[in-house]
Amino acid sequence: MEEPIVKLEKVSKTFRDFWLRPTVEAVDGLDLEVRRGEVFGLLGPNGSGKSTTIKMMLGLLAPSSGKISLFGLPPHAKAARAKLGYLPELSYLHPFLTARETLMYYAGLCNLPRRVARERTDQLLEMVKLSDVAARAVGGFSKGMARRVALASALIGKPELLVLDEPTSGLDPVSTKEVKTLVKALAKKGMTVLTTSHLLADSEDICDRVMILNHGKSAAEGKVSELGESLEEFFLAKVGSGDDFALADFLA
Amino acid sequence: MISLWRIFWLEVVALVRSWTAPILVVASLGWMFAANFVLVTDATDEGKREMLVLYGLGGVFALLVVAVLASSTGAVASERESKRLQLTQVRPVSAFAVAWGKFLALAAVAASVLAFPCAALIVSSGFSERRCSHVYRPLLESPREEALKMYDAYMADPETSPMVKKAGRAVILRILEQRAKDHYQTVRTNETASWTFPGFHDWSHANPLVEPSARFRFSNAYNMRDEVRGAIAANGFFGAVSNITQTAVTVPLHLCQRGWDHDVLSFTNVGGNPVMLRPRQDVELLVPADSFAWNVFRSYVAMASILALMAAFGVFLGTALSRPVALFVAFVSLIVVEMGPSVAEQYPDSLETDAIDRFGLSVVRAVGACAKPPSALSPLPSLAADDCVEAKDALGAFAVDFVLAPIVLSILSALVMRRKT
Ligand SMILES: Nc1ncnc2c1ncn2[C@@H]1O[C@H](COP(=O)(O)OP(=O)(O)OP(=O)(O)O)[C@@H](O)[C@H]1O
Ligand SMILES: [Mg+2]
Repeated sequence: MEEPIVKLEKVSKTFRDFWLRPTVEAVDGLDLEVRRGEVFGLLGPNGSGKSTTIKMMLGLLAPSSGKISLFGLPPHAKAARAKLGYLPELSYLHPFLTARETLMYYAGLCNLPRRVARERTDQLLEMVKLSDVAARAVGGFSKGMARRVALASALIGKPELLVLDEPTSGLDPVSTKEVKTLVKALAKKGMTVLTTSHLLADSEDICDRVMILNHGKSAAEGKVSELGESLEEFFLAKVGSGDDFALADFLA
Repeated sequence: MISLWRIFWLEVVALVRSWTAPILVVASLGWMFAANFVLVTDATDEGKREMLVLYGLGGVFALLVVAVLASSTGAVASERESKRLQLTQVRPVSAFAVAWGKFLALAAVAASVLAFPCAALIVSSGFSERRCSHVYRPLLESPREEALKMYDAYMADPETSPMVKKAGRAVILRILEQRAKDHYQTVRTNETASWTFPGFHDWSHANPLVEPSARFRFSNAYNMRDEVRGAIAANGFFGAVSNITQTAVTVPLHLCQRGWDHDVLSFTNVGGNPVMLRPRQDVELLVPADSFAWNVFRSYVAMASILALMAAFGVFLGTALSRPVALFVAFVSLIVVEMGPSVAEQYPDSLETDAIDRFGLSVVRAVGACAKPPSALSPLPSLAADDCVEAKDALGAFAVDFVLAPIVLSILSALVMRRKT
């Protein structure tokens, strides 16, 4: 079988405070594999460690223990990063750059020659429907517009692996649908996608395989087509629907 | 290469669009212009230019030092704190390229801003014909050598206090070295003192039409304003001094006869009073060099290099520390480097008997020593005095402050950046 594109073995992450006392065990002994060409969904409630897992995968956080490989390389290897596109959970943009300059900047970081960079920038701006505002500074963009700039800049290097941390947060229903269509189209073209979300209906539509994360551990893993029940029921069963007692006490 | 260029470009755009660079240009030019009216001068063209260099350009330089430290400490720190740095780090870009690109941008912007007041200075001088001069000092043994020679006699001297004799050898040598630097030589009436200027004879043969000058600073033990009268002779050149003590006098020398084959400059006291001078500081031979504009240019290179060094240092601090802490450390270091040596020199307890004093002074000296090679060249006093800022010194400053030290600091920044993610 082909080597998985992302492989995590017994990965843990413990955040520590200034005095190195452990504060949170964000990820705990996680094993995870993403195979070439699939759309993998990392699901889980708030604070379950999804973003932390992604950041470790990308070499932005060092794991406390365990082994991570990206394209068979350590995550901070340049060759691995060259094949990567990353959309963080919040769209961190340089407020004084225009949308077009933002894309040109990231194209430059991927070492694309100027002509190719221009071409792709125009295509991507068209694709995320920002061509009209391409010359405006992104500092003045709405949340959803900023999200689309960030998504476009994740795609500028034509990555083999696209990592999306809550791609649809802040998007309106129409844009959400568009992003879903986009992800499906990219997957069809052979791009591997790793996405996180709490929007289970969305994940159900696009993901081939999901892992449900709870308190930093894998609660369940499987092919969406083989679940037999809706992803939402499955999710709630695994994570627990929580209780309403505290709310009832508060309202009483 | 493309990615380095993009990182450079981003930082330049940030500095321009945040109005930092344009405001600095306007402020520098505004101050250079205002300085023409604000500064009180002796109304001569030279005096005016001197003030314009020291306080006009000097003020702009101080402003730029502050601005460079403030923006360079934020260059990486603010990107990291806003998490934008992550988006750069997941791209195929080395951490060194990030640090180096940002440094180059800050250094280039600082150099561009500094170019405006320097150009203004040249314009306001009316492209004067006045030339600057190479400054040569006499060949003397180093203060250290002289201190070593004095040491035994000083320790054997019954007048040396027992307190002093108890102090460490290094401390005493330091005191003696300071004394050697300030060593006065007395020239009594009708006496001649002479000093060697290696290469002077060859120079005067190679440049037969150029007349040098000599610059003296005379002192007098008794009276602040005594008269000095004397004759200066140097390899066929002669000049006469008639002045009062306590000021620097520049004496033009004129060729009277050729054929004396030596490198000696002598001063004969023909006045009524003995005069004193420190040969290590108070006797200089001046040889005409090129124009004021060229001298401004060389000073510009040296100053831009110092700013570049500060930018690299700031980027490094901002990589290692959070922005406010980095800024604080940057300014504290600046103050220690600037004031440390004079504090250490003027410290009253020169014997350093307290352990805590010894500790504090050695820290200050160590910091001073670290900062010494890069900041050794401070071009403004020379520029103001029309002394040539030598091209090799300016290039040396460029090589060290703009290239070598920043490369080292950027490598350090890169190492820290990879650890801190
Ligand atoms: N830099 C950090 N320092 C300390 N604790 C952190 C840090 N980043 C994350 N955590 C903690 O790690 C845990 C997992 O956080 P993470 O951001 O991975 O959750 P998530 O699954 O992405 O949640 P969400 O759905 O809200 O985005 C949380 O308890 C969080 O408080
Ligand atoms: Mg998250």
